[in-house]
Amino acid sequence: MAALTVAMPVAGATMATSVAFVPKGCFSIVAAARMAPIKIKRRLSVVVKASPKEDIKDKIPEAIAEAQKTCEDDPTSAPCAVAWDNVEELTAEAAHQRDRNKANSDPLETYCADNPETDECRTYED
Amino acid sequence: MAAMACTTAAASTVSTPRLGAVSGVKTSAAAARSVQLTSAFHGQSVSSVSHVAALKAAVTSKRSGRRAVVVCKAADGQTVVIGLAADSGCGKSTFMRRLTSVFGGAATPPKGGNPDSNTLISDTTTVICLDDYHSLDRYGRKEKAVTALDPRANNFDLMYEQVKALKEGKSVEKPIYNHVTGLLDAPETIHPPKILVIEGLHPMYDERVRELLDFSIYLDISDDVKFAWKIQRDMAERGHSLESIKASIASRKPDFDAYIDPQKQYADVVIQVLPTQLIPDDNEGKVLRVRMVMKEGVPFFEPVYLFDEGSTISWIPCGRKLTCSYPGIKFFYGPDTYYGNEVSVLEMDGQFDKLDELIYVESHLSNISTKFYGEITQQMLKHADFPGSNNGTGLFQTICGLKIREVYERILEKQKNAVSLEGAKS
Repeated sequence: MAALTVAMPVAGATMATSVAFVPKGCFSIVAAARMAPIKIKRRLSVVVKASPKEDIKDKIPEAIAEAQKTCEDDPTSAPCAVAWDNVEELTAEAAHQRDRNKANSDPLETYCADNPETDECRTYED
Repeated sequence: MAAMACTTAAASTVSTPRLGAVSGVKTSAAAARSVQLTSAFHGQSVSSVSHVAALKAAVTSKRSGRRAVVVCKAADGQTVVIGLAADSGCGKSTFMRRLTSVFGGAATPPKGGNPDSNTLISDTTTVICLDDYHSLDRYGRKEKAVTALDPRANNFDLMYEQVKALKEGKSVEKPIYNHVTGLLDAPETIHPPKILVIEGLHPMYDERVRELLDFSIYLDISDDVKFAWKIQRDMAERGHSLESIKASIASRKPDFDAYIDPQKQYADVVIQVLPTQLIPDDNEGKVLRVRMVMKEGVPFFEPVYLFDEGSTISWIPCGRKLTCSYPGIKFFYGPDTYYGNEVSVLEMDGQFDKLDELIYVESHLSNISTKFYGEITQQMLKHADFPGSNNGTGLFQTICGLKIREVYERILEKQKNAVSLEGAKS
């Protein structure tokens, strides 16, 4: 426990510098402790929430360029597969976000999902 | 009936199972903080659930040691666990939405939690994405040069522990893998549902997890169809081109064939999506040939058949009674072996254009586990805007949903009978 309390302020300090690059070491400490590092998470989530859709869409061309660069030398190497796997993950997530936004586009539907008993949302099925 | 005594005794000790859970947790506060013993159920106001809920409330009170009024030993496996394997991130969402719709209620991400959570919760079902059990996040994988398909990037021990805990009726703190940032977020609490669906790349990879599954499905998309679908999905993205899509599929293929594909042999149902044979040289991937390979001898599951079980049938419904537009519909049914297992294969090639065709086909299929005539048609119509609603993918996904419902109800029935047998014995 003592070791953890020392690690926390360190993690907090490093967070102040740059949020984009989370030192992997610090995150694994935090994850192992399961102490719900609210401070850190809040910072990260603030950044992500700011413009999530642009984030994913912007990441894709970069990821593709990186994958093509990695695969120039050896298309069958492991780093090449990992790079394309990243691209696949990002494009899948972008596609899901598109679907989700499409599904949530009708404000009546989203309201009725939470309040099916109101007058506007009642359905009559036998 | 002993079962009734169980219910009334449990009811006298706790007003609702949910409240009983709270008192149970308080008395056992010393227990591990991450694993809470609760009997919280989704949608447990329906009376048919009270048996199982009452059993769990009684189990909870037994554990707390305070008021062990009635000890009703329930059969094992109170939560039914379904595994779904496929390769396209955690949004086999069309399949999930059809599945949860069969049980009623829309599945939504947990309210008030992490907005990037991959979990879906409805009244009866909770869908967990197995990407949450990645042991390496995106940067870790890059460092170690392993893809997400590689078992080394996944924590199977944690997966087994948590699925086992949920199956036994305990809540778990499940990690969240954030697909947007590529990092592992703080865990979220998952309460045991009536039906737990684990979807992802490796539901059947680990043997221990495989043992926990009551039913498993593998979605097998052939390379041509995968390519056509990915083109439709990804061409809109900046930076992607035909070559890059091809390269992306090709470079993932070795890992896919080595780790994901072999799970096919363990699945109870394999849904194969292939290019159509009705249109020569079709490469658009709009008309599909879909085969449902159903394993024989799976408990509580009876394969769907056409006309005569065990025989080989080739059927074109279009003719005098039914007019279809090009390219029409063609069915095939027959027994086969698949990776050494006895299976029955039902295959549909072509597209539905009209309601008539759908209801005509449904009326000729047998063992489809519907509760009323036209249920499949109704489910397909309800989601007419989903992809695959006019071909075999939608049809077989809907049938799988009905089969899962049947498996669930039969398991519940078996547990009820086991409890009443216990009561009758004592």
